[in-house]
Amino acid sequence: MEHTNEKDAFRQGAIVFIFLAVLTALEFFIAVAIGAVILLVAVAVIKVVLVVWYYMHIYKLNRDATGDHHSLEYKTDTFRLGLWLFLLSDSFVFGGLAVARFNLLGLTRPHLNQFLGLIVTSVLLLSSFFMNRAETAMSHGDRRGFSTGITVTLVLGALFVAGVLGVEWPSAIAEGVTPDASAAGAVFFMMTGMHAFHVITGLILLGTVLRKGRMGIYTAEKHWGVEAAAVYWHFVDVVWIFFYPALYLVGKLL
Amino acid sequence: MRHFVIVGVLVIPVSILTYFGIQASHLMPVEASVQSVIVDQVWNWDMMTLSFLFALIMVPLVYSLIVFRRRKGETGDGKHEEGNVKLEVTWTIIPLILVTAYAYMGAYTLGETRVADPNAMVVNVTAHQWDWAFDYPEGFTSNELHLPINRQVELKMTSLDVIHSFWVPEFRIKQDILPGRITTLRITPVKLGSYKVYCAELCGTSHAYMQRPVIVTSQADYDAWAKQQAAAQATLLAKGGPEAGKAMVAQNGCGGCHSIDGSKLTGPTWRGLFGSQVKLESGQTVKADEAYLTESIKDPNAKIVAGFPANVMPHFTLTDQQIQSIVAYIETLK
Amino acid sequence: MRLFFKSALWRGLVWQAIGWLAGAIFVTLIRLVMGLQPLGTFFFTEPAWVFGSLVGALTFLAGSGVVSDWYAWARGIETPEHREDPDSWEKYINVSLDHKVIGIQYTVTALFLFVTGGTFALIFRTELAQTGLQFLSLGWYNTFMSLHGIVMIIGILVGIGGVMNYLVPMLIGADDMAFPRLNAFSYWIVVPGVVLLLSSLALGGFDTGWTGYPPLSARAPVGVQMFFMGIIVAGWSSILGGLNLIATTLRMRAKGMTAFRMPILIWAAMATSLITLTAAQLFGLSFQLVLFQRLLGMGFFDPSKGGNPILYQHLFWFYSHPAVYVFVLPGLGIISELLPVFVRKPLYGYRWVAMSSMGIALVGFLVWGHHMFASGMNQYLQVPFMYSTLLVAVPTGVKFFSWVATLWNGKIETPTPMLFVLGAIVVFFLGGLSGPPNGTVATDLHLTDTYFVVGHFHDTIFGGYVFPFFAAIYYWFPKATGRRLNEKLGKWHFWLFFPSFIVLTLIMMRVGLIGMRRRIADYDPALGLVDYHIVMTIAAYLIAIATAIFIYNFVRSIKHGEVATGNLWNSRSPEWNVPSPMPVHNYDEPVEVIGEPYDYGLPGSQYVRFGTKE
Repeated sequence: MEHTNEKDAFRQGAIVFIFLAVLTALEFFIAVAIGAVILLVAVAVIKVVLVVWYYMHIYKLNRDATGDHHSLEYKTDTFRLGLWLFLLSDSFVFGGLAVARFNLLGLTRPHLNQFLGLIVTSVLLLSSFFMNRAETAMSHGDRRGFSTGITVTLVLGALFVAGVLGVEWPSAIAEGVTPDASAAGAVFFMMTGMHAFHVITGLILLGTVLRKGRMGIYTAEKHWGVEAAAVYWHFVDVVWIFFYPALYLVGKLL
Repeated sequence: MRHFVIVGVLVIPVSILTYFGIQASHLMPVEASVQSVIVDQVWNWDMMTLSFLFALIMVPLVYSLIVFRRRKGETGDGKHEEGNVKLEVTWTIIPLILVTAYAYMGAYTLGETRVADPNAMVVNVTAHQWDWAFDYPEGFTSNELHLPINRQVELKMTSLDVIHSFWVPEFRIKQDILPGRITTLRITPVKLGSYKVYCAELCGTSHAYMQRPVIVTSQADYDAWAKQQAAAQATLLAKGGPEAGKAMVAQNGCGGCHSIDGSKLTGPTWRGLFGSQVKLESGQTVKADEAYLTESIKDPNAKIVAGFPANVMPHFTLTDQQIQSIVAYIETLK
Repeated sequence: MRLFFKSALWRGLVWQAIGWLAGAIFVTLIRLVMGLQPLGTFFFTEPAWVFGSLVGALTFLAGSGVVSDWYAWARGIETPEHREDPDSWEKYINVSLDHKVIGIQYTVTALFLFVTGGTFALIFRTELAQTGLQFLSLGWYNTFMSLHGIVMIIGILVGIGGVMNYLVPMLIGADDMAFPRLNAFSYWIVVPGVVLLLSSLALGGFDTGWTGYPPLSARAPVGVQMFFMGIIVAGWSSILGGLNLIATTLRMRAKGMTAFRMPILIWAAMATSLITLTAAQLFGLSFQLVLFQRLLGMGFFDPSKGGNPILYQHLFWFYSHPAVYVFVLPGLGIISELLPVFVRKPLYGYRWVAMSSMGIALVGFLVWGHHMFASGMNQYLQVPFMYSTLLVAVPTGVKFFSWVATLWNGKIETPTPMLFVLGAIVVFFLGGLSGPPNGTVATDLHLTDTYFVVGHFHDTIFGGYVFPFFAAIYYWFPKATGRRLNEKLGKWHFWLFFPSFIVLTLIMMRVGLIGMRRRIADYDPALGLVDYHIVMTIAAYLIAIATAIFIYNFVRSIKHGEVATGNLWNSRSPEWNVPSPMPVHNYDEPVEVIGEPYDYGLPGSQYVRFGTKE
């Protein structure tokens, strides 16, 4: 539970989002005007640090290592550790995909619709902003704010999936970047496909949590499900923070 | 204290006995190449160290089991020793120095095995399921690898399908062979004799049988053989027709997938194929005439026969003349 | 029998079949609608089999009931925290949340897998006793050889799951694992995975070995997809089990159990879990990429599409090398854990031994390229990987020196568990000694893909896992059942197994050096190896007989073993200070650590005490 008041917490979340948006614009500019991979990596890392610290509140990990094993706080801390361990494990999958991408394509990239890429990325980042708002609201007991926030997150997340699977994929196929044409196509579809799969499972989690919230199950003191869904959702965003430049920005066109 | 001394003393003869036991077992095949001599040197150093380490651990272990055994009726515990920081540091640092030294020696000898002779004879090797073909600089192909003694050969190898690996045990060094790229292996044979090249990377059904002779002869004998092979092949090819085709088929290992006796292997049998009606995967039926057979060799996936897999037959680089002769040969198979 | 048909096991299997069929039919219908060939070589097409297998695994989980609590929670319904298991054998074929039951489920499954994998080995070992093909076709040989490898590997991972899940909570003074339902899930997901793996036998088998290298795996029979799917499904057991062990170790230790007062086995479990949690994902990923290459033509490893077969090897070995440390770290932990008990002396240099497990795990992530020295990978990678590979010998050496120092000046007794511990040390030592020639590039280029490697890894795996696994069972069986395994049969088991195994592996190394390649159904008579093969086959049968003796002993002793309800081994560890069989909630009074774990020989020292409940 936060000790700041809700308004301040909302403001902090908004400021972080503005930073993320600016960094994304900066990233695009670097890619177009300079092209230095190291700079793109640096920007991605800064974005990730922001999300992991402010949105995923990693500092909450293992705060209470002593204490009564049967208390709610202790158990919640244990769940928190379990979730982060799971995310650590999952990141190896995405790491492996990134390795495959660079091994096969080196510093070239497939021909993709940049406008589309920027849009879906923005949609996902925005969804993280609303997710953070929703979680913040719940930790201050603001059930309404929570409900609205989760709903918007869900809609934006669904838009992301529609954008990637419904628009970007057909567009790539039309350009000749198909799963079976070349290594580039295979890599593109596998990376975006695995990511989209995680977004979809995130949507299911969000839907579950929204419903339980409406049933009145969560309180400011006890809402582990909300925190878990939020942290998972931000993780999916973190992956995209790396995958977006890896697919759209890094390297010369093939 | 006395225990330490006994063990310390025993370690020495046990090491020596172990080492000589290993050497007497003649574990390695004959050294037939420059590379095998180097590899065996590294191996011998390993065996020496191994023998010492074996004794160092086994002697105190066995000694303890005998001397520090609980005797009947004996009560009480063992000596309460928790550890000794100096000792533990020592048995970390010394192995660390040793492995670094060994790695350095390993790197050095690896370089030695790779020394490139600019005058090396180049032989192109094609591996495929499940046979070997060797293209010689004198302009002919053979299924056998003949090498002149004391001359480095640079094998430039590629696969037509899956991963294979070139290995002659007496030469020691092996090298995997991949599709879509060329991997190289340099060997300098130093002992006359008849050896075998075995495929050393699981490559499917007949992996066990993918082997061919490797013959190391004098330079003069090699030259004579090469000249004779080149001439024979040129004549055969010029003549064309089924005899040349039969040689092409043997060289390229078509028999690995296509039988001539009617049995169903990976690919359709050639017995009675020419002129017959063939049912394809697509449902169509076509006549297996010269055009069909030629196309099937040039572009194996153009028409797949029903009941057989696509994307399995490799693309062979053959001239039109060679293909013609193969088709002529197939025509003779009733 | 009727109880069996009411069990989670039965329900799960039935639902797996239903889901498999439904999924396959679904894909077949779609194919019909799309105008594609609806049927294939094995009735359904490959995509239908693959999709069906995924659905089947999910319906197994649903049907078995192992996810029912989570499903309830998702709907906002609370469930009781603990469940009472029935006091009979039926709890072992149903979903239990008790780590002890789960541990036994894992262990029995592991034994089943060993017998299965061992049978495959006996089949092809019999074939290999003479040159020429006597009764196996080339295709079947390759399938049995491949299945032997992967079934044994899964058996090891499952057995490790058993030992770790059974022991870790007990040894840290906890009531159960941090996530009991996740624990149950991690066990139960193994079952559909194994079903898929073994189903490959009916779908054409697969001829790629457990390593599944493309392009060969891209063109192998449909059975290879069942191999891939089996691992993708069962692999979650390892990953989630590791997660649970880490969380449990960090969060559920008894009061006073600081890091260096934990039993050494906990250090080993921790190091192992760090690997299974992370690297194991790459095992699944590398298979997933080949799976999709086959289904959708995605050319990851197809050179004609710009793909790279060596990429597969990097992804695959990035997990599969650390995996071998997963295989051996727990067993090495068991050796370290049991030696002090039978030598009545502290584990020499306990802290450094604890660190060595972590060191092995860490360095183990950096050596995978040594499986690829001949692969055609970038040559400049060979030397760094050689350095890192030889480096692993350092923390491993620390363990050996420590074990010898522990034995030195001890008061040694050798009941069966100790025999297996000693056997483990000797066998693992042989494996370890045969390591450096493999790790050095020049010699490896002769040794790789020969039986020398086969001998090396059988020694390391048996010494690092199989022997300690037996030791652990002989040692902790009384804790689980209140009875002990028969000592005489135990000694027969050991004295038949140990020498046969050493002979087997030394001969493997010998024939490999001379020219016997791996994974061959038949070998060149010119090599003159028939006599060696005959001896190896006999040794294999002796090992099988020894194992049969063990299984007989195991089964019989459950009900008829000599009663042993107290601190049979006079151990300081907390679990032996409560009666056997272990009480359902482990410790009725909370455990408090007040001393060092291995202070044998220090009069008046105590490790734990049992405090009063608040």
